Amino acid sequence: MSNILEKMQEDLYNGRAEEVEAAAQKALDKGTPVQEILNEGLIAGMDVVGRDFRAGDLFIPEVLIAAKAMHAGLEVLRPLLAESGVPAQAKVVVGTVAGDLHDIGKNLVAMMLQGAGFEIVDLGTDVSPEKFVETVRAEGAELLGMSALLTTTMPSMKSTVEALTEAGLRDEVKVIIGGAPVTASFAEQIGADAYAADAAAAVDTARSLVA
Amino acid sequence: MASNKTKRPMLKYLSDSHIEQIHEGSLDILENTGIKVELEEGLEALDKAGAKVDHQTGRAKIPSELVARSLETLPRKFAYAARNPQKDCLMEPGGQLYSRTAGSPDFIIDIDTDEWRAVTVADVLEIYTVMDACDGISILTAAFAQEWPKLGRDILMLREMFDHTDKHIHLRTDTVETFPHMLEMAAIVAGGKEPLRERPIVSLLEGHVSPLRYIDVMVNALLLCGEYGIPLEVCCMPMAGSTGPVTMAGNLQLLNAEFLSGVVISQSAHPGAPLVYAPRPMLMDLRTGFSLAGSIDGEMAAVAGVQMAHFYNVPVSVHGQWSDSVLDDGQSILEHAYTALMGAFSGANILVGAGSLQETLSISLAQLVMDDEINKICFRALEGFAVDKERLGVDAIARVGPGGNFLADPHTVQFVRGERFTPELFYRGSVEGWVEGGRKTFRERAKDKARTILKEHKPNRLPEDIAKALDEYVSYAFESLEK
Repeated sequence: MSNILEKMQEDLYNGRAEEVEAAAQKALDKGTPVQEILNEGLIAGMDVVGRDFRAGDLFIPEVLIAAKAMHAGLEVLRPLLAESGVPAQAKVVVGTVAGDLHDIGKNLVAMMLQGAGFEIVDLGTDVSPEKFVETVRAEGAELLGMSALLTTTMPSMKSTVEALTEAGLRDEVKVIIGGAPVTASFAEQIGADAYAADAAAAVDTARSLVA
Repeated sequence: MASNKTKRPMLKYLSDSHIEQIHEGSLDILENTGIKVELEEGLEALDKAGAKVDHQTGRAKIPSELVARSLETLPRKFAYAARNPQKDCLMEPGGQLYSRTAGSPDFIIDIDTDEWRAVTVADVLEIYTVMDACDGISILTAAFAQEWPKLGRDILMLREMFDHTDKHIHLRTDTVETFPHMLEMAAIVAGGKEPLRERPIVSLLEGHVSPLRYIDVMVNALLLCGEYGIPLEVCCMPMAGSTGPVTMAGNLQLLNAEFLSGVVISQSAHPGAPLVYAPRPMLMDLRTGFSLAGSIDGEMAAVAGVQMAHFYNVPVSVHGQWSDSVLDDGQSILEHAYTALMGAFSGANILVGAGSLQETLSISLAQLVMDDEINKICFRALEGFAVDKERLGVDAIARVGPGGNFLADPHTVQFVRGERFTPELFYRGSVEGWVEGGRKTFRERAKDKARTILKEHKPNRLPEDIAKALDEYVSYAFESLEK
């Protein structure tokens, strides 16, 4: 691996977006293949971040700034990646369900998913089943993530899954749910595809659902 | 420039006039009632210093002037030194808080069976290993195996302690005959009597018998510790309702008079001998006759005792983790948490009791690691936090604005480390994660940690030549005890 990519990994790990961006440009200028920069610079860098996060050595904010740095590098590569036929990122629609205004957990999951390479469409809070269905259709999303903090708003998750079925979209999109009172058995009960207990699990689960 | 650190929390019950009253009452007790001293050398020292001594009855009455003079020669600042100097503990009034384990349990809660049984030699070695491994435990206190001979078990205990820790060692001794041998052993490890005086790697706690009776072991401890320059915790342990007045104030009154009489005996014989005030107010359960350790009342009185120590400007140890529970369970954890936090907030120098149950009759390895965590929580609570322009984060709040979040803001990234304490034994995740991890309770996690320590921790052993010299001395000591 070139010194540039090695240094890029280190800068990415430390969340230095400008340095990662500059390194991506420099590597391209030197004629490094775009796929190599992506795999051995950016993705390999994020793998180290993910490993240390799971080991408890990195905190969420540190993962998030590393992800930001990764995106800064990715922006430089994007036009060339499109040319070389690398598939686009999977799209995830996220939102806190109708009647519920708690969004910090949902925001965290969205940021972590974005860091992991997903494209996020965030509908915010108090999102109705209709709004979810409409957006999934319009965006061609592969994943729908719903969040609730109140037991009183959890039934809206069920309504949304039913609305997806009625709209004929249920087979097009995987549904993942979470939030403090939400459980795996509730997910199964309402016909969601998966439940994630925390932000890290949400990323892992999302990855496995689109794989 | 003003400090950016928050204030040290200080718990206080007594007003200045209460303190004054207790001091005056103590002088009255010492001058008019006096104490009983059951070792002639102690009486001689008191006699020479100006007390009114009756050598027939052993009664000594101590004039206020002698108390004042004795308080003046007390050292304000000294070290509980350690074989590893990085682990020294510096004692000065209002200084840093350290922790030590409690003295000499006879029973242990078996980590595998939960059986309450006698402490064995194997247990003693495991107890020291866990104590040595826990960063939240600054000072190790003696534990004895019941298999050891009654006479000389304190010598065997010290031999093992020296080989299982390089932290400061806090002694217990049983007899007038054995204690000098233990001090000689300490001198061997320290490199001589003078180096031991300069850096006392051992200390002792000893108590009189309430009310006001100084038995031979205590007087001997006061005299010998003074001679060797070994810090002595003067343990004042009247039991409200039996060996002390039933009132909170009365028990404290007696306790304080007893501390001052210890000061007078010590300083009369060896001016400048390092003493630590150890207020251990007890209560008798007047329904059953049992002594109570983990009571909120006892801890309140102990906090008041710390205030008296501050009044005399002398280092102080306070019982931190004390419980009446027979098992390392919810009761012991609760009692240890509140006694420890109150002890920490009292401004004492040493928080005593990690691992102990039934006052100090029993010990548990699980409780030891739980208390290690409690100690760290206490240290964190005293540490406070920084308040300054950077940390107040007005700029960050402006950047994020209404409705945003701070998750990936540079201010969060800058301060994500160092602002918080992370406990090791607490589970703070999801139910699913807990189920996957085997549904372990706090107590089971503590046992797991203790087992891991026993498997992995390697104490810093004594250098071979010193170990050999100690073994030779131990053989010699036992030969001389048999004579």
